[in-house]
Amino acid sequence: MAFLKVNHLKVYYPVRGGFFRRVIDYVRAVDDVSFELEQGETYGLVGESGCGKTTTGRTIIGLIKATAGEILLEGKDLTKLSRREFYHYRKDIQMIFQDPYSSLNPRKRVLDIIAEPLRNFEKLSPQEEKRKVQYFVEKVGLHPESIYKYPHEFSGGQRQRIGIARALTLNPKLIIADEPVSALDVSVQAQVLNFMKEIQKEFQLTYLFISHDLGIIRHMCDRIGIMYRGQFVEEGTSEEIFHDPQHIYTKRLISAIPNPNPQHRQEQVKLRQEIDKEYHNSYHQYFDAEGRVYPLKRISETHSVAIP
Amino acid sequence: MKAELGGPQQVEVQTEKSPSSFSIMWRELVRDKLALGSLILLSIILLIVYGSSLILDKEEIVKVDLLSIYAPPSSEHWLGTDYGGRDIFGQLIIGARNSFTIGLAITLITGFIGLTVGLIAGYFGGVVDNIIMRIIDFILVLPFLMLVIVFVAIVPKYNVFTFILIMSAFLWTGKARLIRAKTLAERELDYVSASKTLGTPDWKIIVREILPNLSSIIIVNLTLNLAGNIGIESGLSYLGFGLPESTPSLGTLVSYAMNPDVLQNKWWVWLPASLLILVMMLCINFIGQALKRAADARQRLG
Amino acid sequence: MLKFILRRIVIMIPQLFLLSILVFLLAKAMPGDALTGRLANNPKMDAQTLAEMKEKLGLNDPPYVQYVRWIKNLMQGDLGISYIHQQPVTDLLSERIGNTLLLSACILILSYIIAIPLGIVSGRWTNSLADKLIVGYSYLSFATPLFIFALLMLFVFGFILGWFPTGGSVNIQVEKGTVDYYISKINHLILPSLSGALLSTVGTIQYLRNEIIDTKIKDFVKTARAKGVPESRIYSRHILRNSFLPIAAFLGYEITGLIGGSIFLESIFSYPGIGQLFLQSIMQRDYSVITALVMISGLATLLGTLLSDIILSAVDPRIRIE
Repeated sequence: MAFLKVNHLKVYYPVRGGFFRRVIDYVRAVDDVSFELEQGETYGLVGESGCGKTTTGRTIIGLIKATAGEILLEGKDLTKLSRREFYHYRKDIQMIFQDPYSSLNPRKRVLDIIAEPLRNFEKLSPQEEKRKVQYFVEKVGLHPESIYKYPHEFSGGQRQRIGIARALTLNPKLIIADEPVSALDVSVQAQVLNFMKEIQKEFQLTYLFISHDLGIIRHMCDRIGIMYRGQFVEEGTSEEIFHDPQHIYTKRLISAIPNPNPQHRQEQVKLRQEIDKEYHNSYHQYFDAEGRVYPLKRISETHSVAIP
Repeated sequence: MKAELGGPQQVEVQTEKSPSSFSIMWRELVRDKLALGSLILLSIILLIVYGSSLILDKEEIVKVDLLSIYAPPSSEHWLGTDYGGRDIFGQLIIGARNSFTIGLAITLITGFIGLTVGLIAGYFGGVVDNIIMRIIDFILVLPFLMLVIVFVAIVPKYNVFTFILIMSAFLWTGKARLIRAKTLAERELDYVSASKTLGTPDWKIIVREILPNLSSIIIVNLTLNLAGNIGIESGLSYLGFGLPESTPSLGTLVSYAMNPDVLQNKWWVWLPASLLILVMMLCINFIGQALKRAADARQRLG
Repeated sequence: MLKFILRRIVIMIPQLFLLSILVFLLAKAMPGDALTGRLANNPKMDAQTLAEMKEKLGLNDPPYVQYVRWIKNLMQGDLGISYIHQQPVTDLLSERIGNTLLLSACILILSYIIAIPLGIVSGRWTNSLADKLIVGYSYLSFATPLFIFALLMLFVFGFILGWFPTGGSVNIQVEKGTVDYYISKINHLILPSLSGALLSTVGTIQYLRNEIIDTKIKDFVKTARAKGVPESRIYSRHILRNSFLPIAAFLGYEITGLIGGSIFLESIFSYPGIGQLFLQSIMQRDYSVITALVMISGLATLLGTLLSDIILSAVDPRIRIE
């Protein structure tokens, strides 16, 4: 049994129009998405902005209500649970947010920020609580005395570490990382990413890693799902996606990764032009009349592509 | 209300490590000379008003003395007397106390209602928000002053409490709207989403997470409203539809000026009360404006 | 656009309905009805005639029937009869409403005449001495209550200096229609409208100042400046053009303030308008007049907001939400 199984997940938003503001259409933010996560792996969700990857993540953690579909965590369907029942599963799924500036309440000390989940789930004495918070603060590489400071006294990278510490306190099984480093300086990105890998081993975490940056995804993920307009385009291991992409959309995405070596620049440009040509020539093989992709088709044990 | 605004102890703890919004606002306020002057002047006025209203013999003040009708200021009556020979200075003190207390009461009540309604509408949104906003829109297009006067005129058993109630019924709307708009913006920030994923219940998110981030706006709004409410109350009392006669207001003293003879020749009856209203409102407004600038500056700094 | 206007009007209908219900309930809650008015002049009516009268006036009908009748009359312009003045409320209003409209118009015009130049100066030369003085004035006028200010104006310019008349709308000794009559009328208007106008400039000044400061640094203004467009033309063509229409549109929102203001101003300057009529009617418990006045004022504010909303949405499509 898969650790997390998402089955035909749909998130639709009504579009209202006309004089009486009736629902005339839906925005299909997430349109029939299915995938599985094994315990301990890192699964990457990739796609351009607005493709529904963040919505998928936020729906799994319960911030957005699913329109249809199932989200099974260790066999239990989270979408069917009442708020009260969901409360018990809260501990198992945590989230690292994209913007380390808005995700920490500016009016709270680091101590209060990190202790917030503890206060909701565990009854600890102030001493125990402080000890636990300091343990995690040290774990993420900050000075234990910094728990009395306010978020604005830290840099972006440090703030993101505070966010990670907060997500760790409840010993979650699954962490949804929504573009965790895209708001950070490039110099700090690698630091935070490597650190995330370290704690993954130490705490046996499963990551759902959401990003638009294929370089980062390649660095972090075991398996990858590519999304386009609310649907999956291709799914496979990191190896398969990067070395044997099947869908033209995936190919274009990968060809767009900048190559740091200037000597290969000419080849890169040529490759892109080729793929662009292929895209225009074979567009109708990959997209239907409405410009949407076809349902996924399995082409190997681990590799699926959306082709007719 | 007070607990939400943060007790003195809390402020102290926060100032140790990092300047809280309150201490930043306080620092800005003290730096602003006009606001600081206003604060000092207002404190002195309130100290005198509340202090001497404890000492003053109320019986003595309301006692009609037909021998000294409209007496000009003298050593016995510092500000002269009115048509019933009653001491103006004493009435001024009591009037100022009543006006300020009632203005404050209305501010706090409307603040509490506005805050609650605004937070709920802004945080939960949807149908609740829609209904609340329709009600607010409706109340805002009513001719406020006329309706208050009509209510005051037809309410049976009219007293101070009914007055506060009538005023509060209309005046909470502006605040609710402001708080709703701010809550709406705040709700979209990730720290609220984070709190939700951490299992914090909604009411706790509203009170502990969002409310503190609105505190400076609330303080500014309440301060400016306090001035406004004192103005509205004394204005209504001037027209004769404010505080009942048993609780004289500063507006009651000003209303003696409806008699042209008093207005023209007996300035000591109405002018001191008018100036006192003016000075109090100016002081509170200057303090409020300085707080507003401080809050804006704080927001810029993030 | 048309859809927005229609929807905006549709939103107004329940408001209108609620307003009429509120006023009707208020009228019912007032101690006295159409009958009391007639009784006042004829206290010796016997019980039977009383009951007949009551039946005839429909006071025994269920409330909703009375409500419908009241609305019907209202739509036909029948606002009932004032029992103090013994004449239809409509006649009473038409005598007074002209004065109030005149006063309100004067206040608005004066207020714009004062506020627009001040706002422009203040926004164009930010942080100059003039700007500081203007900002100081707008703070002061924001904080000053109208009734105190009007009273002080009356005291200083009416009584101490004696420059202006201290009450009424016109010198009654002057013959109607003559030049003197109009001069006297204007003379009576100056003090109340100036009092109102001086305190109602804040909104316009601040709006204009902020708009100018905001637009001043926008790219299209920089471009114009770089092209060598003279400064005065930049202001007239590029900055002010965008600001004036919203200012005009705020007019509708001012109506609530004007109604409230007219109550104070007319009371202080003994100016015979509907504000004064309202206060007199309240004191004399002339309920049909009160009801009519509240209903009309409510209607005026409703229509004013409607008008402002529509103009604003025409100027700025971003406002056309919902």
